[in-house]
Amino acid sequence: MIINYLTLSIILFCLGILGVISRRNVFTVFMSIELMLNAANLAFITFARLHVSMDGHVLAMLVIAVAAAEAALALAVVILLHKHKGVLDTNIFSLLKG
Amino acid sequence: MFAEWLYFGLAALSVLGAIGLILFRHPMNGAMSFVVTLISLAGMYALLSAKLMFAVQLIVYAGAIMSLIVFIIMFLNIQESDLPEEKGRGLYLVGGVVVIAPIAMFLYKIVRTLPGGDTAIVGNGFGEVRNVGMILFKSWLLPFEIISVLLLVALIGAVVVAGKREVGK
Repeated sequence: MIINYLTLSIILFCLGILGVISRRNVFTVFMSIELMLNAANLAFITFARLHVSMDGHVLAMLVIAVAAAEAALALAVVILLHKHKGVLDTNIFSLLKG
Repeated sequence: MFAEWLYFGLAALSVLGAIGLILFRHPMNGAMSFVVTLISLAGMYALLSAKLMFAVQLIVYAGAIMSLIVFIIMFLNIQESDLPEEKGRGLYLVGGVVVIAPIAMFLYKIVRTLPGGDTAIVGNGFGEVRNVGMILFKSWLLPFEIISVLLLVALIGAVVVAGKREVGK
């Protein structure tokens, strides 16, 4: 049933938010964001199946491209911060606060 | 009937993988558990007769993006002592559940009002490369070009941010 797939998408999205707010490891936070993107992708493809139209597939593919760009840039920033600070704690990365 | 059982198996696997991601302490274990989630989501796409997206999820997401993340985790050579302490993790988790649960219930109520169509496999070229490509390059051409510019910007940005290295001295 369509509803089951959307319920799974909600569950995965909420788990992603939980990962972002409860963990302090940079990599876990980053992968939780990826998990939220995947939950949104599942919702797109479920709606595409519900309406038997392929626009949802195209949108999901664009989301995957954005996730790839985000991974490249975010991992570069993580490498740089690890080189400068030597830790992986998100609480240490507070340069903008002054 | 078989598809229903397949759905429940894949759903249980993907939720278990996501829970493992947010509970494992070492990011390597979390990444491996996240790969399980990604692969079972690919199975979901196949059940929803999105044939191209099934392949793209496996090749691009579970293949390329996750191997990039795992490569970086291994490149930094993270030891047990490098990990943040995360003393109040359980407390944050409980607080997060308290905040998120009403939102999830609200979303579930919205989803329940949708018409519940069945998810039998659609033939007739639905979700295959040719048809998705026709839509991508006809009605989604401008977003496609913007995404390609975004990928170029991310590429140059990554090189500029991480590529600097002091030589000599």
